[in-house]
Amino acid sequence: MHVELREIRDFLAGHPPFHLLPEAVLDQLPQWIEIRYLRRGDPFPPDGEQPRLFVVRKGAVALHDRSGRLREKLGEGDAAADQCAKPSMDSEIRGEAVEDTLLYEIPCARIHRLREMSEPFDRHFSADLRQRLKDALDLVQDAEGAFPYPWTTLRDLLHGPPVMVSTQESIRQAAKRMTDAGVSSVLVTEDGALAGIVTDSDLRRRCVAVGRSVEQPVREIMTPEPHTASPDATLMEALTLMTRLQVHHLPVASGSEVLGMFSTSDVARLQNAHPAYLIRDIARAREVDELVRACRRLPHLQAQLVAASASARQVGEVVSCITDALTDRLLVLAEARIGPPPVPYVWVVGGSQSRREQSVHSDQDNALILSDDYEPRAHGAYFEALAREVSDGLDACGFPYCPGDAMATNTQWRQPLHVWRGYFRRWIETPEPKALMLSCIFFDLRPIRGRFSLFETLQAEVLERSRHNSIFLAHMVANALTHRPPLGFFRSFVLIHDGKHDDTLDLKHRGTVPIVDMARVYALAHGLPQVSTVERLHAAGEAGALSREMAENLADAFEFISSVRLRHQAAQIRRGEPPDNYVPPAELSGLERRHLKDAFAVIQTIQETLARRYQVHSLS
Amino acid sequence: MFGPFVSLERRRARALADTAPGPLHDYLAVPFPSRNRDLAEVELVVLDLETTGLDPGRDRILSMGWVLIRGLRVVLASAQHHILRVDGPIPEAAAVLHEITDDRAARGAPLESILPQLLQTLAGRVMVAHHARLEQRFLDAACRRDLGGPFLAPTIDTLVLARRVLERRNHTLQSGDLRLFALGRRFGLPAYKAHDALYDALATAELFLALVADIAPRPPRPLKWFLSRR
Repeated sequence: MHVELREIRDFLAGHPPFHLLPEAVLDQLPQWIEIRYLRRGDPFPPDGEQPRLFVVRKGAVALHDRSGRLREKLGEGDAAADQCAKPSMDSEIRGEAVEDTLLYEIPCARIHRLREMSEPFDRHFSADLRQRLKDALDLVQDAEGAFPYPWTTLRDLLHGPPVMVSTQESIRQAAKRMTDAGVSSVLVTEDGALAGIVTDSDLRRRCVAVGRSVEQPVREIMTPEPHTASPDATLMEALTLMTRLQVHHLPVASGSEVLGMFSTSDVARLQNAHPAYLIRDIARAREVDELVRACRRLPHLQAQLVAASASARQVGEVVSCITDALTDRLLVLAEARIGPPPVPYVWVVGGSQSRREQSVHSDQDNALILSDDYEPRAHGAYFEALAREVSDGLDACGFPYCPGDAMATNTQWRQPLHVWRGYFRRWIETPEPKALMLSCIFFDLRPIRGRFSLFETLQAEVLERSRHNSIFLAHMVANALTHRPPLGFFRSFVLIHDGKHDDTLDLKHRGTVPIVDMARVYALAHGLPQVSTVERLHAAGEAGALSREMAENLADAFEFISSVRLRHQAAQIRRGEPPDNYVPPAELSGLERRHLKDAFAVIQTIQETLARRYQVHSLS
Repeated sequence: MFGPFVSLERRRARALADTAPGPLHDYLAVPFPSRNRDLAEVELVVLDLETTGLDPGRDRILSMGWVLIRGLRVVLASAQHHILRVDGPIPEAAAVLHEITDDRAARGAPLESILPQLLQTLAGRVMVAHHARLEQRFLDAACRRDLGGPFLAPTIDTLVLARRVLERRNHTLQSGDLRLFALGRRFGLPAYKAHDALYDALATAELFLALVADIAPRPPRPLKWFLSRR
């Protein structure tokens, strides 16, 4: 830079897409900029001879689509990049300055050159929403660094190069090297290839205890040709192998190259943080208090999973898995106390636990489907007590009572199969909006314990009835359209329709809930037995309910919004606050805002498609 | 001595005749833009000088920054920043204010090499400065001393324009209200590092655009509405 306009360079470097440019290119930026001033009410984009990219330096610009609806509001640092992304200048977006505004403009010709110089920058302009959503997920999964989880590979767990001696060296030399490195084992090599392993216990058993001279070659006491693991083996696989072989040390090698050593002391360090151990502790608990203690680890476990770059889907599966184990254990403990059930039952769960999308602060949603042999007079008290025990236990363990009373403790949701059949028949054949909204969670049921066939009979019947009933489906669509995503962000606000602002982004009701609701519609309309949102979407794509691409886009949008929500909650948990779904926009990076906007656009598009197909007009 | 602006062209012709061939002569040979031209069609040079004091006879120019406005757009590619060589010690107050030390100033370019560059840039254009009297007087002194003639240029003073705008809005002006920094804040413009010649020139340029938008939101915007009558 021949002149010092560092301030302008740094301003751009702090905002997308320019933050993606290398330092040297950023230095060049100011000389391509022209600055202009718009008064409030002046049209945007302002007149100009050539297509340009605009960045708001001060002030604000509102953009409308052809029908005059507000699409976007740009504040300080926001770029109107469409002008350069589209092949021609006649963009369909028109707008005006809504405050006195200072604009930077850069000719698109320059932007195109920059796109050739930087691939990430280029991708930012890509019209390919599919690619952008994938980039968004990469961003999430690159975050923060590895923390050991079942799917972590040994490569990520190795610390430092292996400690090695050659077969010719003495036992003393081997012991000295182990002592110096502070390790309990050493690898023995011959001509650079792995020949054996010597551990502390080998020194004790094969040398000291038998009075062998420490000057003998180490070869004499090594365990030859030890088992090795590939660096791509997961932690789970390594643990399984070590248990099977009854060894405490596992050399990690790729082909003939020895990369390091993995030992049980590594495992010990990871233990408490591992969900498998929490599930084990839950399964061993003898009373509810033990379960409550075990579950106190859950919020931190979720936060650690997020820090370990686990995907939202993985976190949801782990948490749901733990809740399943907890529910199952509570039922076992309850049966132990009040006796075996007088008639068969199946305990079913709904909501996020059922969809395997649970996070730690979710409410409990559950129900009991009883055998048709159920006699209220004879068996009512038993099942009421059973439901009460489990529900109270879940609440004590951090899964609060459902505010809508969708729990097995509610007589209405503790009924024999024939009553449940009646419920679903009524919901499907004579749908009423309000009743449907309340019963939504019962279209996501999953059995946890008991006689599963009771549930399977019901589910098959429900899917058969629902898929052919277009009035019911239209009602479900209307329900799925009650929650709408925002347009995007403006300064520290969430921009919703009609130019209104929210202070915080409700990631649940404006993000994940609309997707969950649409996935349910597709499942019911096409008779899909899947319950998890992502699985429903993939199955819907396969069944031709929507294009495969749109199904993937929606699934990625779901994953991205969920992961933003999880990271928000992880930060709250670390600060000792109760986790919630409300993110102040100031907490979001520029890139996250942009990716969220893409995700919102996907939701909006599919909501509109569904509204048209089922002729539901609640969107207007 | 001379009437209002109309006589500037006449003064230019007279000065041209009196000045020996050289950079000043070349500068004066280019006619000033017509007073009736629209602002969007005129090129402007927004200039800021940092000096060791306020007396052009005794004080020195420490640095110069300038940037062009073309089509009512600030063209950053045209931005220039020059630290000038100053022999002898710099008064402490000035050194602190402008962050220009004796050392830095000693390594700067001599005024004789930068002044012709500035004149070349100004030729056929309009000078814009905040409190332009200072720039006028220091450049005049420098031209008379080094180039053998007076400095003449059609000039727009953003301080004068700002006072006009604020008085029209019935603002009671407090001392300090017309400082560049205070005006930038009042008009919602970015705050830059103050007392740096280039950032001050840039801040002046942005203030000028804001003032123009206030005085004449739409064309026509004849140059004469904005020129200082000096």
